[in-house]
This record gives sequence, structure tokens and C-alpha cells, in this order.
Amino acid sequence: MLENMSSNQRLMIAVVLSFVFFIGYTAIFPPEEQALTDQNGSHKVQDVSIIDNIEKGYHDAATASSVPATPEVAPALQSSTKLVHIEAQDFTMDIDTLGRIDSMVLKKDKYNIEEGHHTELVSREGAKTLHLRFADGALDATALKTPYVTSASTLDLMNSEKATVTLTQTLPELTVTKEITVYADGHYDISITLSKEKRYFVYLGQRAKNANEQIMTVHGALIYDGEDLTTVFEDGDVEGRSTFSNVKIMSAFGQYFAGMFYGLDRDINVIVDRDRNSDPVLYFDAKPTIDFHGYIGPKTYETLQSIDPILVHAIEYGFFTFIAAPMFSVLYWLHGIFGNWGWAIIALTLIIRLLMFPLTYKGMVSMQKMKEIAPKIKEIQAKHKGDPQRMNAAVMEAYKKHGANPLGGCLPMLLQIPIFFAIYRVLLNAVELQGASWLVWSDLSRMDPWFVLPILMGATMWYQQHITPNTFTDPMQAKLFKWLPVIFTFFFLTFPAGLVLYWLVNNLFSIAQQYMVNKQFETAKAERQDKSVTEKQHDKD
Amino acid sequence: MIRKALLSLLVIYQKFFSLLSFGSCRFYPSCSEYAKWQFEQNPLIYAFFSTFYRIARCNQFCKGGIDYPILHKLSQQPSNLTLDTIKYWLIPKSHHRFYIIKNFTFKG
Repeated sequence: MLENMSSNQRLMIAVVLSFVFFIGYTAIFPPEEQALTDQNGSHKVQDVSIIDNIEKGYHDAATASSVPATPEVAPALQSSTKLVHIEAQDFTMDIDTLGRIDSMVLKKDKYNIEEGHHTELVSREGAKTLHLRFADGALDATALKTPYVTSASTLDLMNSEKATVTLTQTLPELTVTKEITVYADGHYDISITLSKEKRYFVYLGQRAKNANEQIMTVHGALIYDGEDLTTVFEDGDVEGRSTFSNVKIMSAFGQYFAGMFYGLDRDINVIVDRDRNSDPVLYFDAKPTIDFHGYIGPKTYETLQSIDPILVHAIEYGFFTFIAAPMFSVLYWLHGIFGNWGWAIIALTLIIRLLMFPLTYKGMVSMQKMKEIAPKIKEIQAKHKGDPQRMNAAVMEAYKKHGANPLGGCLPMLLQIPIFFAIYRVLLNAVELQGASWLVWSDLSRMDPWFVLPILMGATMWYQQHITPNTFTDPMQAKLFKWLPVIFTFFFLTFPAGLVLYWLVNNLFSIAQQYMVNKQFETAKAERQDKSVTEKQHDKD
Repeated sequence: MIRKALLSLLVIYQKFFSLLSFGSCRFYPSCSEYAKWQFEQNPLIYAFFSTFYRIARCNQFCKGGIDYPILHKLSQQPSNLTLDTIKYWLIPKSHHRFYIIKNFTFKG
């Protein structure tokens, strides 16, 4: 039963196995480790007490402990009014009377999550970006009721690269000045000055929750520090409060979009806190005078690279980032050659298949030898019927004796698992696929509206199984195997078309490969039959 | 403790996952079975490295075939010896080294 197992079947098994593993793994373990780089423990304790004090100013004691650090704005300013309106080619941004980024709408239709509606990147609830909070509770309460005054009510970025606005808040004890320079590519420089030394925090806040996320994508917050270490806090999975120093990037991100701060001083403490849903909330412990940069928009590799090369570290693919990131680089490079993401995906599939070819070829050569000892194997199998352990041992002995082994092996199978995950993550998380058209499909990041690709995928998978020798002895296994294409088709119906395309192409390559193997097999079989016929003739003579 | 946890993980793998990876191993005993015997009989570190080395060899560039685990240190002193309670035969390989070979008639 083992000699019929082809490399193709093993590939399929690897796919399924990786799939099951993937689902099981994400269900059982959160994909990211939550390493806590807490360098100054004493500082942390202090932070906690101060922040808790802030909260007590707004919530009664009971809610303060259960709802940490989610700034609830005083009712008077809850329906915040817009102070500055920024109009650019690709987006419109609004800053409200508390000097926070209140709205960021992407104008490009390809970013639309809902049909006909431009995507809003600022969450309606939760902390907003550039929100300032004072450690002194009374001062903080006053600050929440005092609107900022602006130097300009509109900024026009349609025709210029950048524009600057100065916001001032006059409090009884001190004056807060925020100078914001917004660039047409979505990043901004900001400097905050306090006229008197007071402890305060600047919020990066939370990612937009209205953008619906697909399953198996990474979203939440991340901290990228000077030691090249990325710590990810996934939504719904944040425990307690953690403090980081020497932070290069702090980012609150969804599947495609992110809001981030970068260019912070080394000694600044960045705090990752949790809201009532255990989603991350980010802020940092600021100094009286501080300069830093921010970005809000899609996680487009090219844009981030052009703003500051370090920002590409904010593109996170989850546990397999170390494979996924290089894979994206290859895909990006291929896109540069073909100028189309659809063809780039097909080329990537081809490259991966070529990389595995030496192994596959070895397997195919081995198949040739197999035919010579096939009768012997049959004999052994008949002899040990009903005792699989003993039979396996005997079969293996025969293989080794004749230097033939039709099986692929555990290593190639295990190696394929991370590759498959990485491709999934790349194709699910790459914002570049948004609005990427290929042939008749207008957007490879959306599901196929006509279900053509998933159905073709299922059909090719079925055909691939059909031409691959089936070796299951257990009827249950065989049945399950037969139903796999159907299960996969349904599973892939709502997946991004680009991902389904990858699968489809991969199946086609597998079929081509299997076809070649089968052909070789048949030729050899025919030869052998000829030989036996001539031998019989000789006997007669 | 760790040994038990690892062994139960291996059993889970063999029960469910090898349904899908069925018949892909180039060796007898299969990699998972080999790992099981290793972790049952040998020190954890030794078992880990042997299993790792075995999986690394389990590819199209190696011949495969029969490859039994080797007992690191002889320490078993069974009280009850009948054909059906012997789980593994220990076949001397060289000085203080033994092949671990499954007894086919062992039940349970």
C-alpha cells in the first residue's frame, strides 16, 4: 500500500496538515509571544499609581479598576467639534478641539471596506491619537474642558507637500502648544511644548475597529524596539500593563491600516495598556518639550519605505514574519517585473515549486526503481496482511535492499508548513493587494464575486486527487479525503481572490507534475509487459 | 512530567494528524514512532537530538529504510518477563549500546 504514495499526495497531505495545524495553533495558542521588556520595574509601579489616580478623577473606584486607562472625555466635549480640516489628494484629516486626530478618511476607492463608503481610520470610541492627559487629576479635568485654539482652520495639501498648524491650549497654570506639520503622504511631525513642567502622557490610542478584519489576520498593537525586537499585542489578548523603553516604533494596526508614532527619544517610556475588551491602548510618558513623528494610513511597503525605512518593521505578519517578510520582498520584486499582482502571485508559486524541484525529482527517479521491486512488495504485503507494524518493517527492508524509496519523508513535509503559513499571512495582510486587478478580477484582496476561482480551485484539487494513486486502507480516511475538495471550496469562498489564485496555480502545477509521473509509470509498465510477453514466447519456443 | 507531556503530544499526533500525513515517512519505525520510543527510553536531551537528526534525514536525498533507536543507557530491570509483557527487545549493538526493537506480540 505504501509504494503507490506519490510526492504529489504527500504535498496534498502537507497542505492539509498545515491547514489543520494552523487552525489548531491559532485556536490554542496566541500566535505572538508577549515578551515583556520591562527594564525599569520601579518606574512601572510609579506609572501604575499615577495612572490609577487619573482614572479616579473620572470613574468611581469600582469602574476605575475594571476600565483602566481608557480616556472618557467629559460629556460636554464628547461630541467633539472639528478645529482643523486637512484636505490632501489621498485623504482628509480632522483635528478636534482637544487637539486630537478625530478623523482620517482615505479617499481612494480601493481602500473602501464598505461599498461606496470611504474608510475611516479613527475609531469612534476609545482613545484618539495625539490626546494629552496630565498625571495631575484636577489639571487633567480642566484640560478636558478647555478647547485648543488654532492658527489655521484648514490646511491645503492638494497642491503642496506639507503644511503646518499650531494649536494652543491655555490652562490656568500653563500653556500647551502643539505644532503639527502634516505631509501629503500621511505622515506628520509634531512638537509639543509645555510652558511649565508637568507630568503628562501622549496617546497613540487604538486602531479603527469599524474596519472589519478577516479571520487569520494579525491585528492589535506592536512595539518595535532598538534591539530589533518586535512585541505584538493582539486584540483581545492584552494582559495588564507593560512598559517599554528604547522604542523605535509604536503602532496600533489592523489588517491593512495602522497608526504609529516613531522617532521617540530612547529614554521615553511607552506603555501598552488594555481596554475593557483586552484590546491594546498605547501611550507614552512625555517630557515638557518633545518632538516626534507619526503616521496614519495604509501599511503600504513603498510608502512606509519612502517616509522612513524603519517603518517597514511595522508590517507584521504574525508568528511566521521571519519567512513572510522575505516572501513579501520577493512578491514585491516580481510585481516590479510584471507590473501586476496577479502575475506576481503566479510567478511566486512557480519559484516555490522550482525550489522544491530537486526533492520532487529525486522522488520521481525513485518511482522508476519502484516498479522493479513492485511484485516483491506485493508478496510481502500479502504475507503480513492484518499486521501493519510487521508489514511496514518488512516493506522498508525491501526498499532499503533495492535502494528505492517512493516516499517523500517527514522533513519536506514539515518544511512546507511554515512556507504555507507565510504565504497565507502575506496574501491576507498585504494592503498592496487592495485594488489590484488581474484579468477580469478587479480586486485580489476581496472575495471572488462570481466564485469562479474557488470553484476552479476545488475542481483542480478534485482532479489532482483523482489522478493520484489512492492508498488509504481505512474507508473512513478515504471518505474524508474524497470530501476535502468540497470542504476546501467552501472554506475558500470568502477568502481573498489572490489567495485562492495561489492555491489554484499550485494545484495546476501539482497536476502537471503528477501527470508526468503517471506517464513515466505507464511507459515503464508497458515496457515490462512487452518483456514478459517476449519471455513467454521464448519459453514456448 | 515533561516526558509524559511530550509522549502524550506524540500520541495525539499519531491518532489525529498522521491520518493526514499517513504513509509519508521513509523509515521504519516512522519518525513519530521513533520519537516515541526515544522519549520513552532515553534521556530527554538525547531523545530530542536523535529525533531531530532522524527527521532531518527523512527526505528524498536519504535512502531511508530500517533505522532503530539506540538505547543510551541500560537501566531497565523488569520484574515480570513473559512474551506478552515485553514491549521492546534490546539487541546488543556494541559495548553498552542496544537497538530498541518493538516486540510485535506486545499488547497494550
